[in-house]
Amino acid sequence: MVDTSAITLSENRAVERARIRKERVRSSLIDLIVTLGTIMIALLIGFIVTLAVGKEPIKAYTALLTGPLSQVNRLGNWIQDATTLILIGLSVSIAFQARQFNLGAEGSLLVGALTAAVVALYVPLPPVLGIVVPLLAAMTAGFLVALIPGWMKAYLNANEVVSTLMINAIIANLYQYLLINFLTPEGDNVRRSALLPATSAFPLLADIFNANLGRANLAIVLVLIAVIAVWVLMRRTSFGYEVRMIGANEKFARYGGISARRVIMLSFAIGGAVAAIGGVHLALGVHNRLILGISAGLGFEGIVVAMLARNNPLLVPITGLFYSYLRIGGDIMERTASVGAEIVQVIQAVIILLITAQFVIEFVRARRNTSGTSSSRTAAASDATAVPSEQSRRNI
Amino acid sequence: MIEMRDITKVYPNGVRANREVSFEIKAGEIHALVGENGAGKSTLMKILYGVERPSAGQIYLKGKPVRINTEHEAIALGIGMVFQSFMLVPSFTIAQNVVLGNEPVHGALLDNRAAINATSELAKQYGLVVDPSAIVDSVPVGMRQRVEILKALYRGADVLILDEPTAVLTPQETRELFAAIRQLVKTGKTVIFISHKLREVMEISNRVSVMRDGQMVGTVDTKDATETSLARMMVGREVFQQYDKPPVNRGAAVLQARDLEYVNEAGRQVLRGVSFNAYAGEILGIAGVEGNGQTELVEVLTGLRVAVGGTIKLGDSDITSRSAREVRQAGVAHIPEDRLNNGVALTASIEENLIVDRYSKPPFSRAGFTSLAAMVKNGETMIEQYAIRAPDGALPVGSLSGGNMQKVVVARELSANPQLLIAAQPTRGVDIGATEFMHQQLIQQRTNGVAVLLISADLAEVMALSDRLAVMHNGQIVAIFPDARGLSEEEVGLYMLGVQLQTQAEIEKNW
Repeated sequence: MVDTSAITLSENRAVERARIRKERVRSSLIDLIVTLGTIMIALLIGFIVTLAVGKEPIKAYTALLTGPLSQVNRLGNWIQDATTLILIGLSVSIAFQARQFNLGAEGSLLVGALTAAVVALYVPLPPVLGIVVPLLAAMTAGFLVALIPGWMKAYLNANEVVSTLMINAIIANLYQYLLINFLTPEGDNVRRSALLPATSAFPLLADIFNANLGRANLAIVLVLIAVIAVWVLMRRTSFGYEVRMIGANEKFARYGGISARRVIMLSFAIGGAVAAIGGVHLALGVHNRLILGISAGLGFEGIVVAMLARNNPLLVPITGLFYSYLRIGGDIMERTASVGAEIVQVIQAVIILLITAQFVIEFVRARRNTSGTSSSRTAAASDATAVPSEQSRRNI
Repeated sequence: MIEMRDITKVYPNGVRANREVSFEIKAGEIHALVGENGAGKSTLMKILYGVERPSAGQIYLKGKPVRINTEHEAIALGIGMVFQSFMLVPSFTIAQNVVLGNEPVHGALLDNRAAINATSELAKQYGLVVDPSAIVDSVPVGMRQRVEILKALYRGADVLILDEPTAVLTPQETRELFAAIRQLVKTGKTVIFISHKLREVMEISNRVSVMRDGQMVGTVDTKDATETSLARMMVGREVFQQYDKPPVNRGAAVLQARDLEYVNEAGRQVLRGVSFNAYAGEILGIAGVEGNGQTELVEVLTGLRVAVGGTIKLGDSDITSRSAREVRQAGVAHIPEDRLNNGVALTASIEENLIVDRYSKPPFSRAGFTSLAAMVKNGETMIEQYAIRAPDGALPVGSLSGGNMQKVVVARELSANPQLLIAAQPTRGVDIGATEFMHQQLIQQRTNGVAVLLISADLAEVMALSDRLAVMHNGQIVAIFPDARGLSEEEVGLYMLGVQLQTQAEIEKNW
């Protein structure tokens, strides 16, 4: 008697489970279709804008869409730009998963570039170590600098948006001051540091493949390592579990015995170390020296990359490449067609705006749910989304 | 004046908050509506105020049937309500808050002077002292409440519903509020006063209606009632199901709490010298009307808040001021009263929710790396063992029903093999089947030698389950009964309401 009921129960569960698996595949397929559809619509709107302002709209739009692939050196630009963006996107995604609106990647990137360059300039190092030592120094510096807003948030409950922006401002000015007053060689009338020693330069892809790939360099290997490392950290370690639980419900995490303060602080700091790698890439790979405005605002562009990827480390390379493609394509459009930089940015923004607008996906999903059978489940699920968004509002 | 006839309210999740409730209010009276938490008072009043719609039943205003679908319609009919949590704009002045939504304008701008004049006139008329030009954020709670009342009056309310208005007030402010209520009635208004504080009900009301389990028990004239008779009406329900418990086999004192003091963020002293022991193999129930320090006591014991005084010993080790993790590692499990906010992370999977207290230990973690296989396996085992109705452990907890969410919490806490299990309001908002399950689990733990501390505002529940029973009132343990059998609910109710107290010596004898 008892046995048979147990069997039917587990059979029921197996059937139910299969149904759920199927449902899950279906819903991710729909997600994908909706996302692709959104991109198409966005590109269309972008084209309409181009039509309205450009003299040669077809030519201009072709430049945007195919530009980065049209010449080898443009391909190189794309790779090089995406390298930094992906690293920053990874950096941002870590604290975002703990629902911390950490905007400090820009500062950590500058600190990383500065530290790596100074170590490379002043510490004589053999090959390989010439890259490894500045890299580790930069990551340490990025970690420590990001620890400050993390500590302020965790222990003083200081708003992280304000603290990270302020620290970014301090670092940007400090960077400029040190560069102008101490690092610019005497007699150089451009404000920039001396060229870094050859042992501290990332090998260029152009030399390896013997093609004109611009300044793209072997730092892409670091990107691969970083993507895997951040994924493992967030998905396969206790720390990642802690971060995700804090992001899901901080009170629950505390109740379970997680030290939310420690974890929040570390989520900032680890993000800082990753962002610093982006700075190393710029200093040792792209420019081979420090220049004014080396970051060019990339620290903030990385936020878009992380958001597009919904903080999933494995998606960050894809969204990073995509966003970078738009940036490079826009540059080319500006240079080859008679479309001003402002319009290029408008088109980029429209595209990003539409894609980021997750309400499209959520709208479709909500429609599907209400037509579904299990209304209680929908209600519970909407509860589930309501609570964290309440939390995130408070955090921001 | 107002009559609610046969009102039934069934929520979409199946909870029947009101069952054929009839309720009548006469013009010009102060009518108290009392009952335990969850008795359905607030639901009934929300129906009258148009916030909720009844599933069945009819409302009559001055003999005419009316439908009240929104708050605006209620206000148009002259019904106003002041909620427990105030709905004021903290950065606006009092006058601006009072006129909000119906502002006197000067051109396109708010006529501030007219707003202030209107406010002070109303305030004078009803004896509700406020400073019209003060910013709401800067004035005390009592004044904010008066602003809420003025807001309702400004909109033309003839009937005012006050939802537990004294819960947030000091005794001094309560006296002022009562004076204002009497003044309101003198000018022809009608007041409905929701409360579970019987002393205040006796003091202020003309008539009292008592609700219990979603039903109306009855309405009496206050002059014919006593606190004791009201308490009996409130709690004297059908006897809760009795459980067959094996005889107590009391072991050593697992938990020793002594002189615990706690002051909350607002500076109010919530725990005043709480002392008791919890013994292995025994369920110690803590009864009490909610808000008498139980929540804080549990959070102090579990390391979520830090006591300002006193000691907590678990076995031989002192766990006072230890972190939540250290307390858990010492062998304390905790079923929290606020399940949605503390007990689970709704967007995380069932599997993830089940390991929040052990994710950093083997087999779930080795050298800092987590084992997905161990997590999934643990999830399957728990779902099976605790009959959690979920087809897959990877589903978010938010997709489960309330009862099954609670099972996730219970599965996690019981499988931690605690020495001490603290269960706070374990069956709140849970269906009958899950309640039964929960009760069986608690009894089983106790019979297996765990010290169980059961905190519940549901008197029938604590009385049915407890071996020993303590009563909390106003941040203190006011009574400990060595044997919960043979106690009557009325008797315990008197201690819960602070009408009776045991002497310190009587209490200490039964620590």
